[in-house]
Amino acid sequence: MLNSTKSYVRDYLVKQLPSATAFINTNFEVIQASDKWIDSFDFSAPDVFGATLFELFGGVSKKWLTELSNCFEGKPGGLYIHTSTNSMGAETHIQWKNLPWYDENENIIGAILHTEDVTQSVVNEEKLEKLDAFLQEKSEKAKIGSWESPINGEIWWDEMTRKIHGASADYIPTIDTIFSFYKEGKSKQKILNAVKMAHENGQAWSERLQITTPNGKEKWVISAGKPLYKNNKIIGLIGTFQDVTKRVLLDAKTKASEKLLKTLINHLPINVYLKDINSKKILVNKNEVEFCGFKNEKEVIGKDDYHFLDKVSAEICIEEDQYVIKNAKPILGKENIIVDRSGKATTFLTSKIPMLDDHGNVDGLVGFSLDISDLKAKEEELRTLINITALQNKKLVDFAHIISHNLRSHAANFSMLLEFLITEKSDSEKKKITEMLVSASDGLLETLNNLNEVVAISTNIKTEKTPVHLKKVVNKICGSLKYLIQENNATIINEINENLKVNVIPEYLDNIIANFITNGVKYKSPFRDPIIKLSTSKEKQSIVLTIEDNGIGIDLKKHGDKLFGMYKTFHNNEDAKGIGLFFTKKQIEAMNGKVTVNSKVAIGTTFKIYFNE
Amino acid sequence: MNKINSIYIVDDDPITVFGIRKILNSIVECASIETFKNGKLAIEAIKTVVENSSEIPDIIFLDINMPIMDGWQFMAEFIKLPIVKKIRINIITSSIDATDYENWEIFRNKTHHVVDYIHKPAKRSEIEKSTIPA
Repeated sequence: MLNSTKSYVRDYLVKQLPSATAFINTNFEVIQASDKWIDSFDFSAPDVFGATLFELFGGVSKKWLTELSNCFEGKPGGLYIHTSTNSMGAETHIQWKNLPWYDENENIIGAILHTEDVTQSVVNEEKLEKLDAFLQEKSEKAKIGSWESPINGEIWWDEMTRKIHGASADYIPTIDTIFSFYKEGKSKQKILNAVKMAHENGQAWSERLQITTPNGKEKWVISAGKPLYKNNKIIGLIGTFQDVTKRVLLDAKTKASEKLLKTLINHLPINVYLKDINSKKILVNKNEVEFCGFKNEKEVIGKDDYHFLDKVSAEICIEEDQYVIKNAKPILGKENIIVDRSGKATTFLTSKIPMLDDHGNVDGLVGFSLDISDLKAKEEELRTLINITALQNKKLVDFAHIISHNLRSHAANFSMLLEFLITEKSDSEKKKITEMLVSASDGLLETLNNLNEVVAISTNIKTEKTPVHLKKVVNKICGSLKYLIQENNATIINEINENLKVNVIPEYLDNIIANFITNGVKYKSPFRDPIIKLSTSKEKQSIVLTIEDNGIGIDLKKHGDKLFGMYKTFHNNEDAKGIGLFFTKKQIEAMNGKVTVNSKVAIGTTFKIYFNE
Repeated sequence: MNKINSIYIVDDDPITVFGIRKILNSIVECASIETFKNGKLAIEAIKTVVENSSEIPDIIFLDINMPIMDGWQFMAEFIKLPIVKKIRINIITSSIDATDYENWEIFRNKTHHVVDYIHKPAKRSEIEKSTIPA
């Protein structure tokens, strides 16, 4: 080899070259190399020289071999980057440049290899590429564009910013035109003000604004920007531009449906409420707020029923809530009487339905309560009415029977007697029959009078009741029955409370008391003088007048059901007509009262008259 | 003319009693027609004749609505008496109460006596039929 000895002497000039450079001969042996070149491949200085590239690099790639061969023929190679993994396992990127090596006579004696470690710049470039891609992706997905507006220079818009503005490809944004996109009024004012403030005070902004694209499309955007500084001086503004039309429209839609729902539940004529698993209210409608005794739902939310209801009612409600929540089963159409803290009772028809979260666990309940108090009251009214009607109906049937029986028996007698009269020859017999006809006629008249009386009592229900002194009435009646009482040596004990007044129809009361006293005297025991005791007491809503005698009594097992019947008599008493107690009972009932009887044969009888106050 | 030993009329209405008697007189020959104003008087009389083994009536005309003891109460007592002979009992009433019909059904199925039901006013023909001893 040419100058072979000399060539192994390290040329200090080459050694100190600031770049990694090596000189090889046409045998690929390293002749000269800078320290930088040796270091960059972790070679050791003396061993490198004279070693071939094949030895040093453990083989040479085909491409490199071609490059070097080209160099030996005077054709310099291009730049290329060789990527390899170093001893530390990290990727290294080496940029090579191969040049022909000429001697003084312009003869090619080898090649000059320039290498440069470009790992850092390659990594940076990759990073940049990645970042750019990310940005692109982000911008694309989020519809966020970027822009820059240097004070001295052209405004720059990225693809997305351009797209959002609906600007054509050849549109050049300038400070004079960009604000024309903004909708007149609030939006334009806001953006102009924001830009002004950014320039003057260095204030950043982020505003939701409306723009109109050149083809007339309205969009909602969020424009954000901040000043860019250099050496503490604002050199321009940078920022982002985001299309939020969909979101804004969606928000508006959500708000609208929320409003609709709210209006709906607020105007439902029932109480609607949502409760969490601790029975605390989390949503209530107007009715529920009012029921709780408040005006604003904020005063109700977050509280349980103990805040609004009587303790017992609250316990019932919360027990129901917990049943629904623990068992994930609804309660449907349950009727409850709920008492609030003021003591007012309301009848509710309540349904409670469990609410499930995304995992199917109960996270609360929705409740509906319908106030059926009015309905209940009406039902009660109706029931009372039905009872009254049933009672009236029974009275009517009874009355029909009385009429049919009593009138029929008289009619039958007339018919029979008249038939006899027609066929009878004997004058004396005719006279007898005629007499009987007269007596039948009298009987019929009396019966009709009695029936008249019954009708009068039954239809006189509306007669006004007036308060009367019960004790005084009894004394008055005893006065008018003086002879009967004296004749029978009877004693009347009037133990009625001095000041007691009862609401009655006075004529009825007179008749009732006279009847009971007369009966007590008439049906006296043959073994003792009659004693009739009258006293009063209070039972529930009624004043009770008790009339007790020591007379012959009556077998109630045998006659109990007929005691107050019409034309029922039970003793061999000639003037008994079986009408007194019948009328008495009718008159008591006409005053909304009732009468009960207790009797023991040979001991006496006790009647109790209930005046319904 | 039909001959009957003993007839009882149990009714508190003198006109009805008069009528039945008048018709009976014209259609049967009867040794004894007795009248009772209520069930209690009648049943006491029958109890006495049963005890004394004297003449038990062949036919009884029985009203339903009477004081002290009505027709049905009388029937309840009567069918309990140890009377072997078949007695004809004619319930004679102006009642159109359904419960009276039901009572009649009950009693006629409960006893070996013949129980008939006649509406007031009693017609001669009906009385005639009802005097054929059971």
